[in-house]
Amino acid sequence: MALSKNSGGHRGMQESMYSVIALVFILVACVELCDAAAAIDVYRLIQYDMSGSAYGSRFAALNHHAASLHFPPGADLSRAVLIIPLRELNITFVREYINQKKPLGGLLFLLPDIFSFENGGNKQVHEKEQLKNLLAELEQLLIHANIPYPVYFAFENDEIDTVLADIKKNDAIGQPATATTGGYKLVIPTPEPKKVASPTITNIQGWLSGLKADGDTNQLPTIAIVASYDTFGAAPALSVGSDSNGSGVVALLEIARLFSLLYSNPKTRGRYNLLFGLTSGGPYNYNGTQKWLRSFDQRLRESIDYAICLNSIGSWDNELWIHVSKPPENAYIKQIFEGFSNVAEEMDIKVGLKHKKINISNPRVAREHEQFSRLRVTAATLSEISTAPELLQGTGGLYDSRQFVNETAITRVVKLVAESLARHIYGHQGKNVQIFADGGSLAVNPAYIQSWLDLLSQTPRVAPFLSKNDPFVMALKKELADHTDEVNMQHEVLEGVFTFYDSTSARLNIYQVASVTFDLLLLLVLGSYLIVLFSFLVITTRGLDDLISLFRRPPSRKVKTA
Amino acid sequence: MEKFVGYTFQELLKALIGFIDVAGLYLALTQLTHRNISQNHKFQAVGLGWALADSVLHRLAPLWVGARGLEFTWDYILQGLEANANLVLSISLAALGSLIWLRKNKPKTLIPIIYACAGIVATMPSITSYLRRGLGWHFPKVVGFELFTSLVMAFISWQLFSACQRPYV
Repeated sequence: MALSKNSGGHRGMQESMYSVIALVFILVACVELCDAAAAIDVYRLIQYDMSGSAYGSRFAALNHHAASLHFPPGADLSRAVLIIPLRELNITFVREYINQKKPLGGLLFLLPDIFSFENGGNKQVHEKEQLKNLLAELEQLLIHANIPYPVYFAFENDEIDTVLADIKKNDAIGQPATATTGGYKLVIPTPEPKKVASPTITNIQGWLSGLKADGDTNQLPTIAIVASYDTFGAAPALSVGSDSNGSGVVALLEIARLFSLLYSNPKTRGRYNLLFGLTSGGPYNYNGTQKWLRSFDQRLRESIDYAICLNSIGSWDNELWIHVSKPPENAYIKQIFEGFSNVAEEMDIKVGLKHKKINISNPRVAREHEQFSRLRVTAATLSEISTAPELLQGTGGLYDSRQFVNETAITRVVKLVAESLARHIYGHQGKNVQIFADGGSLAVNPAYIQSWLDLLSQTPRVAPFLSKNDPFVMALKKELADHTDEVNMQHEVLEGVFTFYDSTSARLNIYQVASVTFDLLLLLVLGSYLIVLFSFLVITTRGLDDLISLFRRPPSRKVKTA
Repeated sequence: MEKFVGYTFQELLKALIGFIDVAGLYLALTQLTHRNISQNHKFQAVGLGWALADSVLHRLAPLWVGARGLEFTWDYILQGLEANANLVLSISLAALGSLIWLRKNKPKTLIPIIYACAGIVATMPSITSYLRRGLGWHFPKVVGFELFTSLVMAFISWQLFSACQRPYV
């Protein structure tokens, strides 16, 4: 009895399930869900505090109408977002807006494809250099300004190009053309940006031991090769810094690889230790390098013969610079410079020497070798740039993309540095010996350089946004471990002068909205349609009198009761 | 080939729904007895109720989900007009249905016309979807066609209804 009842109940539930499924199925067949508007990836301007002063864009959320540069003069833009393609940028206009603190709802800069990795490729764009310089100037302006509204960067694509063309057309007329294209609304729904708690900088060092002769108790001399790997730019999510300092990192890895080949065989192991350092905190007065050096044992620091720092060596033609802090008459400096010059002459490269005295009381450290010099270690920086950069300048920003780096240049620098070092280590100064000759087993590998350069050009590396266990940092560590005997990582906290805020990238939604007058008009039309329909139906079914009686007040009760 | 198969499946579904319309109206008109309602009002009530249910099921969900977005599209206005046309069509179908199933003494000549009109109105969903997919008409054009045909069919069924009422011989 109970069994049949159960099964009956079960069947009943099954039947209702089927009918629900059938209903859903029918609904799905009849209902078509509407699609939303366009959505693109955008990257926010950096927001940071330096020594208490606020810089960068202080807001992230956006919900305003879009406007183009053709807005009617005198228009109120405090609730509008200006969309400015880089090609049409007038830097004095932007500078005026920012410096005079004119109210604006937001800024959206459209960057041409050549600055992105995926679409950049090898497109030949005329005015490439002009665009690069313009972008560099814009970046410097934005980084050092305090902007009280959101600023975003996006890459040009078909969708946003059509939207911008439409906006320009509407702006030129002065009023929106048709009621339905009342305008475009840009919406970025992100929460308030928060401070990045204790930003870490991670230094990675690799140690390649030299050959100790039997019975020799003295510490072997050390040569250090250093490059900083982190960047700083206007848009942290796009700061890949291919030249500054991706080229330096790639060169360091290749030199490490070549010397690990040499040192793997005891017969060819030199009498020098080699110390490879990938430091972080470069843009912030080489803070990481300073902390790294301070962590050294006194003996180790004294055993460093000299250090070569690599920075921006990817886009030069035929001239390189060696920057030093000790005067050129110094014997060590002379030795280093002569070693480089000899090899450079053979390779048809011009190498110049630049001397700049360091001022201990000035906290500004323009080049990495100065940190070494402050601790009395002989050091030099090899770079293609002859002038010293300002704070937060030339640190791998938006304009520093893969397009502008030449892997052949990096290959030549690697050969130059490796050859000079090897001649010093093995005592072949002045002799015309090619250790890393092309085509041999120790030749510089251009494929290795290219693949690492491509990887670096796709990885934004702003230090506060790289966590301790970031996969890229781990990859660098692993690569260095492959080429050296011992690898160490040092985690430090970025010094308190800088504070960073998160929310570096978001998704922008573009909606086409109708103006308010259109909404009211539509409401009126629909209301009148319904009223007409209603009165028509009442008239045809009950007669005109019934319709009129709806509006007449019912006869008052007073008359009746009296 | 796949597109064709999918196309006919959708069409079969739409035709099935049209058939369900007719079957439901038949049930509502004949099985549910209301003593104190004249035949005139019965078909109006049934048609109205059916059109309401149809609108709610087909149009309420997309309206609720879609019309709250920031973007404006004409779709929802047109869907409203379509619902109006659907109302008129439902009422005329109910009228024809009541003629077919409830009134036994019809003039012989009008019977085939009644069945033909009922057939046309019942297959209206298939016709509209064919117009939209097969001929590629845009939504406003389809809605205009629906409104026009609904008015025409309403007029015809009104004439048929009044014609059947006359011979109280």
